[in-house]
Amino acid sequence: MGIKVVPRYGKSFKDKLYLPAIAGGMKTTFKHFMKNFSDIENIKTMQYPEVQPTDLNERYRGVHRLTKNEDNSEKCVACFMCATACPAECIFIEAVERFDEYAEKRPKEFKIDLLECVFCGYCVEACPCDAIRMDTGIFSFVASSREDFVLDKKALMANERAKDLSNG
Amino acid sequence: MSTTSIIIIIINIALAVVLAVALTPLFVWWERRISALMQDRSGPNRCNIGPFRLGGLIQSFADMLKLVFKEDLTPSHIKYKFFFSIAPGIVFLCSFLTFAVIPFADVLVIDGKENIMQAIPNELGIMWFLAFAGLAVYGIILGGYSSGSKYGLLGSIRASAQVISYEAAMGLAIISMILSYGSIHLTDMVNAQAGTYLGVIPMWGIFIQPLAAIIFIICSFAETNRAPFDLAEGESELVAGYHTEYSAMKFGLFQVGEYAAMSASSALIVTLFFGGYQVPWLDTHAIQSNINYVIGAIIIILPLKVFFLTKWMKKNNKAIGSNKSREKETKILTFAFWAIALSIVALLISFLITGLGTNGVNIVTAVIQVGTFLIKFFMMAFVYIWVRWTVLRFRYDQLQMLGWKVLIPLALLNIVVTAIVIVVGN
Repeated sequence: MGIKVVPRYGKSFKDKLYLPAIAGGMKTTFKHFMKNFSDIENIKTMQYPEVQPTDLNERYRGVHRLTKNEDNSEKCVACFMCATACPAECIFIEAVERFDEYAEKRPKEFKIDLLECVFCGYCVEACPCDAIRMDTGIFSFVASSREDFVLDKKALMANERAKDLSNG
Repeated sequence: MSTTSIIIIIINIALAVVLAVALTPLFVWWERRISALMQDRSGPNRCNIGPFRLGGLIQSFADMLKLVFKEDLTPSHIKYKFFFSIAPGIVFLCSFLTFAVIPFADVLVIDGKENIMQAIPNELGIMWFLAFAGLAVYGIILGGYSSGSKYGLLGSIRASAQVISYEAAMGLAIISMILSYGSIHLTDMVNAQAGTYLGVIPMWGIFIQPLAAIIFIICSFAETNRAPFDLAEGESELVAGYHTEYSAMKFGLFQVGEYAAMSASSALIVTLFFGGYQVPWLDTHAIQSNINYVIGAIIIILPLKVFFLTKWMKKNNKAIGSNKSREKETKILTFAFWAIALSIVALLISFLITGLGTNGVNIVTAVIQVGTFLIKFFMMAFVYIWVRWTVLRFRYDQLQMLGWKVLIPLALLNIVVTAIVIVVGN
């Protein structure tokens, strides 16, 4: 068995002097300062409202959307699985009888309160019909009143899959 | 007193007020932008008046306006409302008054009459600085004590203990400087720093007394309660330390006081150790006898500086997206800088053509020395900010250990060595 000797720092005269270490640290910060001061392009910060992020991927959870069948009717069958799975209890569904070939029920109204929503994605995982998704890529949702943050079925169905993502 | 000496005193007081108080927004801006650039961020750069952002300087003025117009709240549990109210004032006033003895230029001789270039022309010199720098901590103690909060009290206890330990080492470092300069008067001290060793190294305090310089600089960092010695407001354990209960302009006064203390001690460090207003390799007499060459050098250097400044500005103040206001700002500022530079150059050329009288030469020398002092002063303030964003905060026992076990013995040793050298040397 080899014994590994861990070097202990801080006991030598140079370490106890403390000033060489400070000088080394100041050199590092000054290098960063001069690099960024001489050319502002070296800063990686995104100038946000003008420059938008381009690195959204499949796993990014944005604002929800309700998916649609070919004839633009909703895939949702109003099974309440998403509302049950929701930890924030922000999904409100009102079911009615359905008269097309897809299912027996459909949501008359489907509301998501985005102020309550924690964007956990459990509703997407709970859905048996792939009817709700969070792939819109909308990461900033603003409104001027509390009521405007409650998305209804019309708004949720109007949301589309983000253009940055591949079609799937 | 003649009119000219009154005018000179007014100019000096204005300079001291500007350097101590009016620079606070500038230093807050520096603090935020420099720390941002050191950490690869961009810092405040959005606030603007029309196209003018001045690199984010407007943000500081916006913050200042906010503090001024905020409700001046005194928490209801505070018993000593009077002390609570005057504490920020004490900090502010003491830090501000320390500036009064800093000489901005050599003694200005007009019509044979000598004018000391200080805000308060007294002979106290460095004693005045020591007195007021020590007094400033009373404001911190009073503020923390009258806050009626544990955090405030702990912060002020830390501040007082820290000042007691570091004031001693600072005083001892200053004693060795007084020994080697032979005067407490700051103008004499700066004049002693004129000239060179071997014709190359300027005879600055830091080269005469390197140990005293290091001790003094460390102690003045501790004196101003800035990192790495900002235990009095250690936010990780004390919320905000002594100013936890303060808000609005009372808090603002603490802030101004902190930056005024920073300006005052960087001015004093420059005065004691970096040659004050002395232009390196050119003492007052050399400038006065070669005034035409000095003016010629300025005429050449100033447009070059402005050229590089505007080039840098054009490169780094680019438009983002479709918003073109930054390019507009760059154009206006470039024009303004060139106009200022060219008018100064024109003025200097007219001096060269018409020639200056004795008074004129003295005044131009004083202006050049004030400029030199300001350049050194701003560089020292940059060092303050630079250190703050590099070095970590000390643990409390480490702080006391450094003060009592390292700095004071070293300062005492330095005094003994200095005294021996002076006695043997004479």
